[in-house]
Formats: sequence, structure tokens, C-alpha cells
Amino acid sequence: MGKSERHWRNGISRRQALAGLATFLAGSPVLRAQQDPFPLAGHRRVPGFSEMTSAYDFEPVFRANVSRAVYDYTARGTDSEFTLRRNREAFDWVDLVGGKQIAPDTVDTSLEMFGERLATPIMLAPTARQRPLHPDGELGMYEAATAAQSAMIVSHASSFPFDRIAEAARGPLWFQFYPRPDRELSRQILHDAQNAGCRAVVVTIDQTASAYERALHNRHLGGEPRTIERPSAEDLGNPYGISSGRLWYEWSYLADIRPMIAVPMLAKGILTGEGALRCVDIGFDGIVVSNHGGRALDYGPSTLEVLAEVVDAVGGRVPVLIDSGFRRGRDVLKALALGADAVCLGRVPRWGLGAYGVPGAQRVLEIVQAELVQAMAALGRPTLAALDRTAVRTEFP
Amino acid sequence: MNSQGGPPLPPSGELINVPEFEAAARAVLPTGVFATLAGGNRAPFERMTFRQKLMVDGTGIDLSTELFGERMFAPTIIGPVSAQNAYHAQGELETARGAAAAKTIMVVSSRSSRSVEAIAAETDAALWFQVYSDEGLAARSAIHRAVGAGVKAVCITVNDPSASDRRAFGPPRVDWDAVNRIADGAGVPVIVKGVLAPEDAERATRHGMQGIVVSDHGAGAPGRVAGAPIDVLPDIAAAAGDRLAVLIDGGFRRGTDILKALALGARAVLLARPIMWGLAAYGAAGVAAVLFLLHNELARSMVAAGRPAVALIDRALVRIHTR
Repeated sequence: MGKSERHWRNGISRRQALAGLATFLAGSPVLRAQQDPFPLAGHRRVPGFSEMTSAYDFEPVFRANVSRAVYDYTARGTDSEFTLRRNREAFDWVDLVGGKQIAPDTVDTSLEMFGERLATPIMLAPTARQRPLHPDGELGMYEAATAAQSAMIVSHASSFPFDRIAEAARGPLWFQFYPRPDRELSRQILHDAQNAGCRAVVVTIDQTASAYERALHNRHLGGEPRTIERPSAEDLGNPYGISSGRLWYEWSYLADIRPMIAVPMLAKGILTGEGALRCVDIGFDGIVVSNHGGRALDYGPSTLEVLAEVVDAVGGRVPVLIDSGFRRGRDVLKALALGADAVCLGRVPRWGLGAYGVPGAQRVLEIVQAELVQAMAALGRPTLAALDRTAVRTEFP
Repeated sequence: MNSQGGPPLPPSGELINVPEFEAAARAVLPTGVFATLAGGNRAPFERMTFRQKLMVDGTGIDLSTELFGERMFAPTIIGPVSAQNAYHAQGELETARGAAAAKTIMVVSSRSSRSVEAIAAETDAALWFQVYSDEGLAARSAIHRAVGAGVKAVCITVNDPSASDRRAFGPPRVDWDAVNRIADGAGVPVIVKGVLAPEDAERATRHGMQGIVVSDHGAGAPGRVAGAPIDVLPDIAAAAGDRLAVLIDGGFRRGTDILKALALGARAVLLARPIMWGLAAYGAAGVAAVLFLLHNELARSMVAAGRPAVALIDRALVRIHTR
């Protein structure tokens, strides 16, 4: 066999050579570079910090950052979530009434509460366990709140102990308290919080027997059985499977703890004029109109629709605060016009902290504050004192 | 494997609300059978909110109530449903076992797939017996037999026209002659089911009835502005006064729904579809689980509303909104 014949028998054909070249090119970066690395169908983009323009922008980023259980704990309400939905719906039943527009930089949102000057009526509602949102937890939230000049109420169920948060305190720091049946334990907890420097105590008196169905779902997703509590009737003291931890609440307890609190004391969870009056009679220094963000009794009213009733019953004797469902400056404005002295945000700063840490929490507060200033300017109301019911028209069903 | 041989279901104890039982029933039942249990008018409940009282000690939370001289564990009753073998092979026998586990009264339909004696032998639960007002003499003999089997009360169903008839002719009225012919000499309390007009509540007292069920037989069409049982309940309860036990059914899916009915004047609530969902998916365990969940929700909402006993539930608890 000659050289040519051997080459003809063992060498590759033109067809094989072309196929080999095509295979090489197909895997080559030269050819891949010609393709769109971000095809439209696969477009998934996390918005940047600088693109956050409303509180709502933070929620999807927060949701993407945290576990399903943490998101649901923040987002969800009790049972059918009727009250959770109604809290938002209620803002559609209040219209703003326009006035002569003024320049936003002439608007002053400051107010005095319990002898302290606050730069803004927008406060941070007490929400539990902030460390799962971000490693900085309440420490970071407090830093952000202080930077945004908003007063913060620290939850009794915080991830960091209250005294550690209070160590860093430069601005107003309030403490939220869940009643404990043991009076001595109550005294100890309240003493420690005041000793650490809390400027006010918020006593939460709703949510005596709530259950988050969504949390039960999540237990299941985590591999645990999601059965609702079914311990024996002897353990619970009732045959209906409801946890007895907070069933004991009674008015006399509030009278008992009144002397234990030297700083202003507020009652949170009020939804009726009668309830507010009772609290004022006991000696509370403030009322927080709240349905626990739709996490107490389902099919309760929205806070906005009962605000005027509470304000009228209290008659200016003590400040009235409100929370549950507030997302925008306009929402805040509607409550202030109906007579609230301040508005507390629960979920909104959680979104901020969970989305972008301390800067996120600070930015989201500043956004809502700026929206409030804009709205006041648009209605021609330069101060909170100038905001009254003539700024709104209500039509509650 | 579930009771119908379909796809696997989670254990009944893992279901956390009544709508989940509806989904389970949908998963196990043939489409046509499930259709007989689907739906329910929820709109009226969405127009009612609570005015709660705070700081009322709820440690003694008590759902029990009295009806016709007997103590009930909770103000709930399993409503009459005919031919329950469509939903579970053991039909009414399983429902009766579930009723006993949940300490709840069961109303046995005269059109049951099992005899009232067989059902009674299966359960410790108190039984009532239900007949139709147009069954005449057959109803009388059926009642006689049922009372012999130990039923504690008789329920006479009136006015069960199709939804289209109801729209055409307005609120249905009761044929009292037919009811009297059947009720005469029953020997146990007689309840008329299907009342939707206050005048009929007054007449029920005059004709010697002990109770009424405000009911449109589950026919409520979603979106109707008024006329669902819970909508007409306040007027009927006012007309009935204290002499007549007013019961109700129609779309009850949550403990808060039951609480609303009690506040608006009902003594107890009849549940039919939710019970059948539990039966279809899990048999007696499902029936008991549905009742457990509803009692749990009712107890929680009673505490949160500041009314931890049935006697404390008052009209002021519920606000009815225009939309």
C-alpha cells in the first residue's frame, strides 16, 4: 500500500472534517458570544437599592431574601384574612380633599408627644423577631429608625434583648409589653425595660387567641407535622384545643401594672370608643388603635374605619396612635386627618430591613415620610395641626 | 390511599381549616358527586364585622348551650343530608360515629341510605330525624319509627323549590296544614326547616312548634344582595321571641360565621356541606375533625370578641355593613 493509498484509507474525509469543525465551533466562546446572554424570556432582574421608589418596591426584594416561613410570618393574618384585606381596602373609603398647594419644603411634620419633640408622626410598630430578616435584627432597625428620625417601639418578643438595643439608644425608644399573669414577673420585666431607658411602654391587649394558618402550612413545609394544637383538655383547661397562654386577660391586671410603669403607658389593640375610654379611666397615657395588622380577631373592622370613633371618645385627653395596613404617605395623611396623633408601620420597615439591611429600613421610612410631606403640600396643610377632618371625605360601608 | 381509592391525602389531623376539607373532598369524589356538595353563599358573612370587648377573662371558655332541655357540647348540629352513601361507602354510619366523637347532634334524613335504627345503633350522639312536609302519611309513620329508635326531635323540611322558582316567586311561605298533619302527635319537639319569613316564625309558635331552621336549603346564589338565611335571621329572631328555638344553616364555613349567627339570634347552626366534605375524604375521622376545627375557631373568636360563653354573645357584637 503506497503512501497515498494509506492516507486515503486512514485519513479523515472532507465530511468528517467539516463535522468536526462545526462541533468545535458550536462549543466555542467565539460563537457563544454572538448569542444574547440575557434572552428576554429568561429576564429576571433584582431591582437595585437606588431604584426603590415606594414601600411596595421593597417587598419583593425582601421576599426573595428571606425564607418562606419568615416572609409568611410577616405577610399573613389570622384565619380567612378578612381583616388583613379590609385594612387596605379602608383607605379607598377615604378621599383626600384638595386645598391650595404649597411648597413641600415649607411643610413641617414635627409634633410633641409625652413632652418629647418628634420629627415625624411616622413610628415603627413593635414587630417580633427581626433577626430572621437580617443579622442586625432590632439593632439594625433601631439604627435605621434613628437615622430616619422615627421613634421605634421594640417588641417584647425581640431577637435581641431590650437592654442591648437600648445601650445604643440616642433617640426615643419605646418598649412593647405582653401581659404576664404573674404580677412579680410583670414588675421585673417592666422595671428592667424602664431601667434600660425606655421612654414609654406599650401594653398589647389584643390577640388573646389567634392562630396563623399560614404558619401551620409552613411547619409542614419544614418537615414538621402541621397539626393544630390538640393537647389534652386537662393541659389546656379547655376541650377546644386553644392555647391558654393569653386567655386570662382582665381589666384588673391593667390597674395592677399601672403603678409599675413610671413612663407614659399606652394600650395597643383598641377598636372601640368604649374600650378606649376604659383605658383612659385606668390611667393609660395613650391609645393605639390596632387590629394587630389583621392578626387578632378575624372579621374585625379595619382600624381606619373605627379611628374617628376612638378619637371622639378620647376627646383629646391622651394621644391616639394607629397601625395596621399603612404603606404610603397618603395612608398616613388620612389617619392624621381623622384625628390620629401618630401612625405606626409594622410590615413596611420589616420589608426595608429584610431587603437591604439598615440602609433599606432607613430608606423605606424616608420614602413614606417624603410621601407624607408631598401629600400635605398638595393639600396645602403646612403642619400637623393644620390637618383636620376637612382634609378628607369618608364613606365607610 | 383514601377512602374512595383515589390519590393519597394528608392525615385528617393535618388539615387546618374547613376549606381544606373541601379541597380534599374534591380530590376524592367523582366530579358529578362533588358538584352536589360544592359552593355556598359566603357574601353575607363578608358584610359583617365584630365589635369586640377587650380584657374579658376567657380561661373558662365554654361553648356549651341548652336546647330542648338538653345540654349541647357546642351550638353546632350536623344537618340532614340524604343518601350519604354517595360520599362514603358506610354513609350515615360513619357520620354518626364522627358525631359521637365530636359530641354533636346529628339530624338523620328520611332519605338516608341506612335505616334510622342502624344509625342509632352506631352512635352515642343524640339524633334528630328529618322528613319532608309533602310526604304526608309516609312521613308520619317514618317519624313514629324514628322516635321508637330514640330520636330526640323531628325536623320537618318545607319549601325546597329550585333556586329559579325562588327568584320568580319571592321568599317562600310555609304550608302549615301540611306541617300540622305530620307534626301532630310526634311526641318529641318539632322543628320546621326552611323558614325565611318573620310571619312564618310567628305562625310556627302558634302551631305549637318548638323550633325553626332559617334555611334556603343551601341554595343561596353568591352575589345576591339580601335574602340569605343570615341576612333574614335578625328579623326572624325578633319575631320568634323567646318561645321558639331559632336555628340556621346556609354557607357556614368558619367559627366566626357561627359566632355571627349566635349574635344575630340563632341558638345553634346546622352544618351540612362541611360535614360531607369531612365524611367523603376521611369518614368518621373527617366528620370529627371538621367539627373540632369549627369548635376551635368558634372558641378562639369568642375569647377574642370578649364573649367567652354562649350566653354572653349579644346583638351588639355584630355590625352589618351595607356592602
